Amino acid sequence: MSEQTTELGHSIKALADTLIPYILAVVAAFAAVGIFFAAVGFDVLQAYSTILFTSFRTPNGFVQTLLKYVPLLLQALAFTVPLTAGKFNIGGEGQLIVGAIGAAAVGIMFSGLPMLLLLPMVILAGIVFGGFWAAIPAWLLYRFGINEILTTVMMNFISFSLIDYVATEIWRDPTAGHPTTVPIGAGGEFPLLVAKPPLNSGIVLALAAAVIVYVYVNRTPGGYDLVATGANARASRVFGINVRVMFLLSLIVGGALAGLSGAIEVAGVHHRLIEGLQSNFLLLGIIIGLMARGNLLAVPFVAFFIAVLEVGASAMQRTMMIPVEFVFIVEALILLFVLLSDVVRRR
Amino acid sequence: MKNSTMLEMKGVRKSFGTVVALDDVNLQLKSSEIHGLLGGNGAGKTTLMNVLYGLYKPDRGEIYLREKKVEIQSPKDAISCGIGMVHQHFLQIDSYTVTENIVLGTRLKNRPTLDLDQEEQRIQDLSERFGLEVSPSSLVEELPMGIRQRVEILKAVYRGVDVLILDEPTTNLTPQEVESLFQSLRVMVEEGMSVVFITHKLREVLSVSDRISVLRDGRNVITLPRDEASEEVLVRAMVGEGLDVGKSLVFSDTGLDQEALQVGQEPVLRVEGLQVVNEEGNPLVKDCSFQIREKEIFGVAGVAGNGQQELAESLMGIRPIAGGQASIDDTSIVGLETRELLEMGVTYIPEDRLQDGFLPTANVAQNLILGYQRQEPYHNRGFLDWNAIFRAARELITEYNIMTPSAKEPAANLSGGNIQRVMLARAFSHPAKLLVAHNPTRGLDIGSMEFVYSKLLERKEQGMATLLLSEDLDELMLLCDRIATIYRGQFAGVLERGEFDKYQIGRMMSGVETHE
Amino acid sequence: MDQFQMQFVSFARLVMLAMVPYVLASQGTMLGGRTGLFSVSQEGIMLVGASLGFLGAYLYGSLVYGMLLAMFVGGLFGLALAYFTTTLKMNQFVIGLSLFFIGLGLSTLFPKIVIGVTLQPPLIPTLPDVPIPGLSQIPILGDIFFNQNVLVYFAILLSIFLYYLLYKTSIGLELRSVGENPKAADSLGVNVSVMRYVTAIVGGMLMGLAGAYLPMVYTGTFTQGMVQGRGWIAIALTFFGGWSPHLIFLGALFFAGVEILALRVQVAGVGVPYQFLLTLPYIATILVMIFASRRVRAPAFLGQNYDREKRTLS
Repeated sequence: MSEQTTELGHSIKALADTLIPYILAVVAAFAAVGIFFAAVGFDVLQAYSTILFTSFRTPNGFVQTLLKYVPLLLQALAFTVPLTAGKFNIGGEGQLIVGAIGAAAVGIMFSGLPMLLLLPMVILAGIVFGGFWAAIPAWLLYRFGINEILTTVMMNFISFSLIDYVATEIWRDPTAGHPTTVPIGAGGEFPLLVAKPPLNSGIVLALAAAVIVYVYVNRTPGGYDLVATGANARASRVFGINVRVMFLLSLIVGGALAGLSGAIEVAGVHHRLIEGLQSNFLLLGIIIGLMARGNLLAVPFVAFFIAVLEVGASAMQRTMMIPVEFVFIVEALILLFVLLSDVVRRR
Repeated sequence: MKNSTMLEMKGVRKSFGTVVALDDVNLQLKSSEIHGLLGGNGAGKTTLMNVLYGLYKPDRGEIYLREKKVEIQSPKDAISCGIGMVHQHFLQIDSYTVTENIVLGTRLKNRPTLDLDQEEQRIQDLSERFGLEVSPSSLVEELPMGIRQRVEILKAVYRGVDVLILDEPTTNLTPQEVESLFQSLRVMVEEGMSVVFITHKLREVLSVSDRISVLRDGRNVITLPRDEASEEVLVRAMVGEGLDVGKSLVFSDTGLDQEALQVGQEPVLRVEGLQVVNEEGNPLVKDCSFQIREKEIFGVAGVAGNGQQELAESLMGIRPIAGGQASIDDTSIVGLETRELLEMGVTYIPEDRLQDGFLPTANVAQNLILGYQRQEPYHNRGFLDWNAIFRAARELITEYNIMTPSAKEPAANLSGGNIQRVMLARAFSHPAKLLVAHNPTRGLDIGSMEFVYSKLLERKEQGMATLLLSEDLDELMLLCDRIATIYRGQFAGVLERGEFDKYQIGRMMSGVETHE
Repeated sequence: MDQFQMQFVSFARLVMLAMVPYVLASQGTMLGGRTGLFSVSQEGIMLVGASLGFLGAYLYGSLVYGMLLAMFVGGLFGLALAYFTTTLKMNQFVIGLSLFFIGLGLSTLFPKIVIGVTLQPPLIPTLPDVPIPGLSQIPILGDIFFNQNVLVYFAILLSIFLYYLLYKTSIGLELRSVGENPKAADSLGVNVSVMRYVTAIVGGMLMGLAGAYLPMVYTGTFTQGMVQGRGWIAIALTFFGGWSPHLIFLGALFFAGVEILALRVQVAGVGVPYQFLLTLPYIATILVMIFASRRVRAPAFLGQNYDREKRTLS
């Protein structure tokens, strides 16, 4: 009996130890930026209430938040899975774009197929293309030992040209003012989960991906290999883990997750390929992954919080003419303060 | 000025987190003396000298140089006070020449270019004067350990130090090199310098020191002049009351008892003409042949960097075997992966446990299953069985006396001795036919050393074959049934128990003699 | 001068012009790396440098103020990198990425605050060419090397100076030793922290200046994301140049050459979609990294923090 209570007490204390630095970091970041806001002459309280509550005031706001949440969660996972093995995937943007290109290509080329066939093909194409785009830097790392940070970033830049080519040369929609392709077949579109305001079912896939990744990493020997590699690659190699394969696979899985989010953007949100559909999801995804300190259980929650901030930020720019970048600075500061809390704890 | 006080440390205390490494320690150094600082690993010898050299900031304590109080905040201050230190692990820039390493940090004045002819000449003179022969223009990464140590000493004498600290300077030397080092030290003290000689080896401290201080658990025990010291007194001072010296393996004079000397007949590991090469194809291990039988501890002596690591790693599947045969119980292991070898019952204690064996950010239980995560009972139908893992971890923590609040504790919080207990517990958590252990007691305190020795012997008596690679000759001569000496990747000879001779092994270690 | 010669001179002149941001950012990266600090915030610092260089020149009416402002802010980023990694011992990659984010955010925030959101951003004058009397009269070479803007001269002189500093002075010997083995350097009285702070700050200033060069020479205004990966390419270039100032200079010429060649081919029109030409610098970067992975030795302690009291296996 007493052992159980202490066990419970420990868990509560552990949870509190984890949460308190986060709360302090959020408060400190908002306070710091708030002082700046006030100095420039903005209405701080109204700005903050817009940022924090837009998502919860109207059904539309909430659906907007969920739509933002899907790519953010997947981008964060695309960064966090390789991070578990100690590798930095900064290429989620390119992987998303190429995944979207793959999904759109399949959706357009086979537009006549029924949903039962086309939708899985579109999703699979996103995953495969995203995985392939990550496989290039992964292979360069495996074969030549080239730093993955640099190559994944380069692949982003290359993907910008690729999407531009596809959207202006191959399947260009001549009626659109912005580089955009023609729509994909109706059978490739995600069914709606909620009709009004429209919420597509991509969120189900994203959450399922998060659960599968979490279970795999924490409950299977393969996941153990991944964690061990991230903790000390040299020791893992000495004790029989093929760490180079771990690096390779973790990056490819990260790319596949980003590619999935590209497919969801195409098949769920836009129903076509639009240049710029990647938004700033990559940066936010990395911030989420780092804020969660690579903890796969924390990623979905942190991602939701950031989605709320982002939706609030656009509303703030619309209604109050305050640049969205302010919120980006808040997010970067929260990250910095969360990281600093580790230093404080160490002392 | 002989016998005046050169330097004094008073009431030094130093803690790391909650661990008190030094508590109210005093040390007095006279001019023109070699002062032996004796103690087991973890007794605080190095920590005390790091404080003196400005590398560690003490919580409390004062330092007096020639009776005047000095503040030493950094190595820079220490150097300007005339204090030099030779670290156990040489602090050298591998890609620099000997001269560049020595002059580094001494700002050359009025010099438009980095022309070091003058300095080179001075280094030449110094090396002749103290009998520390080096070639000033060689790259240090190309030099053998013994020469690199001379570079380290020259760094100090080049700066004209009055006090020279040597931290375990004999670790990487052959017995012959040790004697030549001692002669150099004699020349230095005759010229007026004072030397602090840190060691955990009794015989060395007795053979060279003028006075001896013993530390234990971060406290002073005694300080004695050489002629009042005896082995018995010093051993007692080093181990304290906690350990029964009579039963101790580390200090045993008579060696092992009869039971521990039994060796089986069946060969477990057979190695024939083993070759290991580096990336450029140059051989690191050449034509090694040996067998290890059941219940046998086969030792490999040698100066660090002569192929020991490569030999161990090739047998563990970490490096490829480039040529020759190796088999365990008549099954060839050439080309097998580490994972397969672990499953066959080969187990490994790597030399550098922090780099090669330890997951700092994982918890203790995760560390204890590294390499065995796909074996019973940890693995169950595709998933890890965390209940079984924690149950096994708790049992190992108890059996191996690992000091940790729980199996969920981050392993980074373990102390050095406890990390090594984790390595042992892991290596012995599954039945093993063959153990490959590389310097398994490096950096361990006396209690932990005893523990490692007793576990090795316990497993030996149960039938395990052991390949023990060690730089500690005393350790090898105590535990091994046979000792091979490795020099530049080749066995220079194999000696049976009974014909062990420190100086003969020393000659083989430096390549001047081969046996058989 | 015949047609070919004119073509060549104008190409070479453009390469010298385009090499400047690569040289400045890479030499900045190299300086930090030689003391063991591996920054990955180049792109962010260059963006802030471009943004503030433009704003400074616009507000104060002089390019010099723009450059100074960009260098000042770049130096602040370097200071932050040094503080978080050297003093607080935080992970260099994580801090570098965080600083990259902050730079990215600030680069678009500042113009929005100062100028507001507008479709027609104001222009600043571009950096004028300053012919060097006498030397600029030499045929061909004079036009290529001695009839350029001041930052071209600065980039060349900086590379020569850094080469001398690193390999021919005792400060250089100490500086390099910190990146090779900080503990050894520390044990001989070399101040590891000071070395890292100084190189990080100077490195950051060079990156800021590299950013400011872009609006001042290419566009006359700041546009979002205008650095276009040059910051990341600078990292690859630093590896490619083996962390040595003279080789980095040559590598920068190579990358500038690729950039100008892609533009030239695009203008000439050779039937290849222009999107593929735009990818050339990035593909070149990857190829260069493959090459560098084989032959280049980076500083041994690159990316690792140094903690004097950290206990190691003894």
